[in-house]
Amino acid sequence: MASGNGTGDTMISIERDGLAFRFPNVHRDAACRIEFQRTLRIPDDGRTYPLPPGLGRFPLRHFDDFAERLPEDSVRRGGVVMPMHQAEAVWISFLGGLGSNPYPCAIKIATGKVCAVGGEPWEEGLTRDPQNYLVVPGQPWLDGYCVEKGTIRQFVAMPLGEGYSAEEQLTGEAWHGGLQLAVYPMRRNVYEELPKPRLGSRVREVLELFPSDLMGVAPGGRMAQQIYRDAFGLDAWDQQRGARSFVTLANSRQWMAITGERPPTKPPTAHEYAKAELPWFLFYDRDREEVDGAERLGALRTVAGTENGLA
Amino acid sequence: MTYFGARTRQLREHLRQNDRRYSLRQVAHRVGVEPAYLSKIERGVAAPPSEATTVRLARELGEDPDVFLAMAGKVSSELQAIIRKRPKLFADLIRRLRDAPDEAIFRVVRVVRDGEW
Repeated sequence: MASGNGTGDTMISIERDGLAFRFPNVHRDAACRIEFQRTLRIPDDGRTYPLPPGLGRFPLRHFDDFAERLPEDSVRRGGVVMPMHQAEAVWISFLGGLGSNPYPCAIKIATGKVCAVGGEPWEEGLTRDPQNYLVVPGQPWLDGYCVEKGTIRQFVAMPLGEGYSAEEQLTGEAWHGGLQLAVYPMRRNVYEELPKPRLGSRVREVLELFPSDLMGVAPGGRMAQQIYRDAFGLDAWDQQRGARSFVTLANSRQWMAITGERPPTKPPTAHEYAKAELPWFLFYDRDREEVDGAERLGALRTVAGTENGLA
Repeated sequence: MTYFGARTRQLREHLRQNDRRYSLRQVAHRVGVEPAYLSKIERGVAAPPSEATTVRLARELGEDPDVFLAMAGKVSSELQAIIRKRPKLFADLIRRLRDAPDEAIFRVVRVVRDGEW
């Protein structure tokens, strides 16, 4: 990545418990917002489920604010910290642009430095084959690892070092944990040649219902979700002006210890939610090409599979 | 027609092209107002709604709540509370930054530090 966050080329800030990425030297509209939504953990029983709802945003804090209470190795990573209960699920929401003008961005997402889209180890920059990024607007959210075309396995927080995480299964190490993000804005000249701004359609309801053990992320239940192929091509993205962040996951006990704040309450189970006859969601755009799932990710053991193996 | 009303209708109609959930009736229901009232807001016959409704409308239509509130001629009570806590400091800061370019304003905001990983 050519420059650090906050150099004028790129800037990441925490705004309303979301990460706002801005690239003022690319274009005044060059920006995107990423949020981490609390959600139901869908059953890990081999069946394919529709999209669960959002139950509000996870809180985010600057990691540096708690540096004196944390190991030096993890402080060096910078970024932000967010609380998750063990076995809690998360989906990641994307908004290209911050005002009323959508701005296309390419976004890389990894857990434990394993790409959640292409399944490869983390490397700087974008690759097309396999595609290791998402394009927003267009891809409104990501709920898990892209294991096959049209199907993901839900992101589920599990303790690092117990064999559950994608990182441990693919690299044999429990070192990074957490989530990693990188955003690359569209090149200014490509953006200016686009047809008039297209507003994204976001039909998934976000319900604001509820007001060392660092965590990794493991694959959970199967869910129907399309991951779209980049229709612009690699040259459209300004890879000299990307910005990235490490998101450390803290379990509820550690979150209280380092921030002094109570973590959000545990979300209801999928069974409790269905019993209350609350809605699930479908999002499907049949006109757009999808990426194939990553074989490496499809071969991972799920949380339930690992538990059965350990029993 | 007010700009707030026109923008609300523009965003809603755009979303409705691909999703019938963005009909006047359904959006009004989700943000907790009568359809007739939302119609009046969109036509500029009624003044923009309360802060809470404006924020719900912004979220429903994928607009930034602060931008939507500004179009409605309002400033969020959260921002007002921040200014009231240190009125001199923030009034001075806002005046000083009034004509500053966006990049200069962004430098004032605390950034998330990226490290080694």
